[in-house]
Amino acid sequence: MARFLIQRLLAAILTIFVTTVAVSMLIHLVPGDPVQIMYAQSQGTTPEQLEAVRERLGLNDPLYQQYLSYVGRLLQGDLGVTIRGEQPVLELLLLRLPNTLILASSALLIASAIGLSFGFLAAYKRGTWLDTTLMTTAILGVSMPHFWLGLILLFYFAVHLGWFPVAGSGFPNLVLPAVTLGLTNAAIIARLTRSSMIDIFDQDFVRTAHAKGLPKAMVLYRHALRAGLVPIVTMMGLQFTYMMGGAIVVENVFGWNGVGRMAIQAIFQRDYPLIQGFILMFAIVVVLVSILMDVIYAFLDPRIRH
Amino acid sequence: MQQRVKSAIDIAAAAGSGAPARVGFGRRMVAVLGAATANRGAKVGLVLVGILIVVAVFAPWIAPYGSDQMGAGMGLMPPSADYWFGTDEFGRDVFSRVVYGARLTIQVGVIAVGISLTVGTLMGLIAGYAGGWVERILMRLVDVVFSFTETLIALAAVAVLGPSLTNAMIAVGIAAIPFYARVAYSVTLVERNKAYFDAAYVAGAGHLRLIFIHLLPNILPPLIVVATLGVSSAVLAAAGLSFLGLGAQPPSPEWGAMLSAGRDYFTQASWIMIYPGLAIMVTVLAFNLLGDGIREALDPRQKAK
Repeated sequence: MARFLIQRLLAAILTIFVTTVAVSMLIHLVPGDPVQIMYAQSQGTTPEQLEAVRERLGLNDPLYQQYLSYVGRLLQGDLGVTIRGEQPVLELLLLRLPNTLILASSALLIASAIGLSFGFLAAYKRGTWLDTTLMTTAILGVSMPHFWLGLILLFYFAVHLGWFPVAGSGFPNLVLPAVTLGLTNAAIIARLTRSSMIDIFDQDFVRTAHAKGLPKAMVLYRHALRAGLVPIVTMMGLQFTYMMGGAIVVENVFGWNGVGRMAIQAIFQRDYPLIQGFILMFAIVVVLVSILMDVIYAFLDPRIRH
Repeated sequence: MQQRVKSAIDIAAAAGSGAPARVGFGRRMVAVLGAATANRGAKVGLVLVGILIVVAVFAPWIAPYGSDQMGAGMGLMPPSADYWFGTDEFGRDVFSRVVYGARLTIQVGVIAVGISLTVGTLMGLIAGYAGGWVERILMRLVDVVFSFTETLIALAAVAVLGPSLTNAMIAVGIAAIPFYARVAYSVTLVERNKAYFDAAYVAGAGHLRLIFIHLLPNILPPLIVVATLGVSSAVLAAAGLSFLGLGAQPPSPEWGAMLSAGRDYFTQASWIMIYPGLAIMVTVLAFNLLGDGIREALDPRQKAK
């Protein structure tokens, strides 16, 4: 197990390394002069001021030196300051990150509850009208753009019925965005659960358990579900990453004050230090989640545990 | 995502199997589509995709008004016999705009998937052919980029390029490169173990000839099947970017952008937002149904018993 985890940890370190290289070089990929683009929206910036910014961001140094000083500052927890307002990027991100994590985890909870039970039921009742109904619902859900579903829920439940506030960041505000993100992903989870459970129902050990006359419930829970849990847990980690990505869009529909909403504003304002910080932070969250999932996986799967 | 890759690799493998040597590309595609359309959902999907293409091609004849024709009717008129989907705040006919939007959607699908397919195939092909350190570096890089989810990669690409529909297509295309690279890689590994490859190698074919004349024509058909299924996620992602204001800009009749513009009028005129959203959903659904049909046709395990 140690070997497996060390391998995964090395992979994670590599991921972070590649991300820092990509993020620190991002600004050089911008077509045209990035500093001029960043300041295009502020009036009356003189060429001398632009040159000062270029100097401050170290854009005149050789690339390897830029990378090294970027990593150096990173290790001290310095992600630079924003172009608008010159606020420290790390502070801004950490202030909003909890909101995004709360949204993504609530959505994951909703999605798993619905997705797992629908998927399991559909697999168990394979080929019946129930399977068809559940899977038709699921394919509609997978095809539905979540920003559209979000707007419809927002206008029906918040504006029309007035059950939930339209914008803000309290618990009542969390319900609609979490449901929006949860429902579309529940459909994905249901489809994956169905196909992985069908694979398991068809395997010899389940057939053997049935054949030796074990009660149906016991075969389902003790044999099939346990074996089916391993790929499903791995899937959950990936789903959380999806939720983080989906949150970027959903936060903008509902005005939820998370990092995703800030990132979109940063892209509009061409605030590259903030964009760079956001990408790096997102990558770190993804890597941490995947390490956590690997640890759980290592404990669940006896082939790796021993 | 890993699941998507796995199922895509299964599809590609099944679509490419049973062909010890080169089989005509057309014949193989027809065989795959024929098998898939035995499935009811896939038939519906195929018909819907056909309708979308017809609407896009014949948009000027189908749409009663121009896509930007202001004052085609009064502002914010509800759906009626004259204005099937109602009119927006500028009196533009929503139905006509949705019809013209189909053209942009097809463009997005073809261009975005074209980019990811071309670059991804080359990467996977070269990694699979070369082996050794080239393979290790390329595929490791693909794995790393892959872990970031397509949304983040697309956002980073738009952040670099700046917001516009063209850039959104490029961004969505770049975001899916790792997906196609992995599928192409695994298909290449299968193909290079077949007899025709060994024969060409022994006959003294050079690297370029082996890659482009022998491997490429054989890995392309299954990859194109997979790419067809990829259209749905490309369309969805690009519409999302346009909705956020990072893709198509008004007055473009792009569906995501229309939705975003319509949200201000939702309480008075819900139809401005309902129909473009419905159009996105039906398009994505069509490709998903088609994809499921092909998957089921090629993978009997998932068939309903």
